[in-house]
Amino acid sequence: MNSTDPAAATTPPSPLDPTGAMLAFLVLRGWLGIRALLAGIEKFSAKVMVQTPLLNADGTPDASGAIVEIQSKVYGISHYQALPASLQQKLADEPLLLSFLATPFYSVLGYLLVIMGVALLAGLFTRATLFGMGVLYILLTVGLILLGQDAGVAWLGIHTGLIAMALALVQHNRFTITRS
Amino acid sequence: MSDSAHPLTTRRRFLQSTAAAGAALVMARPGRAIANTLGDKEIRIALVGVGIQGRVLMDSVLKIPGIRFAALCDIWPYNLTAGERYVRKSGQPVNTYADVDEMLLKEKDLHAVLIATPDFWHAPHTNACLRAGLHVYCEKMMSNTVEGARSMVQTMRETGKLLQIGHQRRSNPRYIVALQRLIREAKLLGRITAANGQWNRAVGNDLSWPPRHALSGDVLARYGYESMNHFRNWRWYKKLGGGPLSDLGAHQIDIFTWFFGAPPRSILAAGGVDYYKNHEWIDNAMVIYEYETVDGIARAFYQVQTTTSAGGGYYEQFMGTEGTLKISENPSYTAIYREAGAPDWDQWVAKRYLTLARGGPAEGEDGETTVDARETAELATFKLPVVLNKAIHQPHLENFFQAIRGKAKLNCPGDEAFASEYAIYRTNDAIDARQMLHIRPEEYKV
Repeated sequence: MNSTDPAAATTPPSPLDPTGAMLAFLVLRGWLGIRALLAGIEKFSAKVMVQTPLLNADGTPDASGAIVEIQSKVYGISHYQALPASLQQKLADEPLLLSFLATPFYSVLGYLLVIMGVALLAGLFTRATLFGMGVLYILLTVGLILLGQDAGVAWLGIHTGLIAMALALVQHNRFTITRS
Repeated sequence: MSDSAHPLTTRRRFLQSTAAAGAALVMARPGRAIANTLGDKEIRIALVGVGIQGRVLMDSVLKIPGIRFAALCDIWPYNLTAGERYVRKSGQPVNTYADVDEMLLKEKDLHAVLIATPDFWHAPHTNACLRAGLHVYCEKMMSNTVEGARSMVQTMRETGKLLQIGHQRRSNPRYIVALQRLIREAKLLGRITAANGQWNRAVGNDLSWPPRHALSGDVLARYGYESMNHFRNWRWYKKLGGGPLSDLGAHQIDIFTWFFGAPPRSILAAGGVDYYKNHEWIDNAMVIYEYETVDGIARAFYQVQTTTSAGGGYYEQFMGTEGTLKISENPSYTAIYREAGAPDWDQWVAKRYLTLARGGPAEGEDGETTVDARETAELATFKLPVVLNKAIHQPHLENFFQAIRGKAKLNCPGDEAFASEYAIYRTNDAIDARQMLHIRPEEYKV
């Protein structure tokens, strides 16, 4: 630490082992980034039924011409769904949730999660991204509190706690594209 | 259908003539498998009987490339006109006839005929068409009598023409895969000891008709009907049809015979006219068949009721030591259950013979909802992933036309259908006799 650095004058020295703190932050950044990225991508997935010929052991089609229908998972923009329809309906029935805000929120939720996940993993605007992610999880928690889904609230609470911990360790951030 | 022009189409004379022909007709030209070398040329067909079932066949045929309707035949102008318009709108202008004999005289470039007339006309019509050099697809039952059905097999052999009987499940890939892959190859059911089948329907009114389209008494009498009610509701009269065991049961009892690989050796049955006052045939029946299979004795219970839908659904169920297959033409009634002690079926899931629907009781859940300690635990449930993207009759018709082209063997030729249907004729006998009937193997042969 350079004593002539003006920032050093206002930042108290960390009681943590610098290497351990850096690794701890990288673990948190990686977990939260992967969590957000995959949660976002999954909102672009769907399970569809795919028909394909029933095959013999040698790979030739069955003599009966039988077609089997197998469930398959696919990804695509056209499959985007922020929340399951049943959950959206329950939220729409909640008077304390502002319905005119719900539609724009649903339309960006998946994209925001993907962007935040990529930003965290790449080290782009890490501090701002973590804070934005915390706000997003708080907004999601509001809906679950109103629906009385305590398990979901606790689940998001753990996420939010991890984000808060990451923000506390953000000074140990390394391997980033942007400094902040 | 005049009596004088073609004596063979007069039922009494027809039956007399076939009886006299006797053994001379046996196995002359076994034309039951593959026809000629028509190749990919257009197949020109006629439909005889343009009623409800005829329209079902018509719809399926219109979806099959390379098949063209040339003629329709029905004694009721009301049906005939509607059928003619329907086919014409599909781009196939047809000639129409009230009489099969006239149609056979005038239509010289037919290859095949589909027959969907009332059961008592099946044998006369089929035999006339076979003798006219045409291949025949005839709806089940083959006839309302054993003698009529037997004559069809004899004529099939005598003429060397193809005769496919409309047990359409035999061409349904879902049934074929269930039998060939699940039961025979994978042996998922283990030793099959029992089967069960049912088809129940709610009470209903007799079929009616627009009064201004009623046939005259002369026409009705000429074609064997006592009245318009007999004509419209022929299924319930003994001289015309075979009752619910024939109409509904025939399809499912045929599946018993097909899957067990043998017809039943004994029949125990009860039934009666319990509800309807004006019907000759029974309303309801309960039957127990006993089969001698290559794996040992198996028994099947069959129930048909026309006075209650009994909660709905129709299916056939094969129960074995390692699993149970419940199958229906309606996929929603189909399921396969694995016995708790049976080996896992993962390899068959990987081969896409099955898909897991529900994995059975989770660890620690045993007994939570058990009422009786002896109750069988919930079984792992699987689905049959095979789908049929066509009308249920279309594959069977396609098989018939492919056989005409020389590219396939019939899935339900007349002699195999006879062996299957014979037990159904005898089931009605068992109900009348009120005692167990034993059937000798030679009775199934023609």
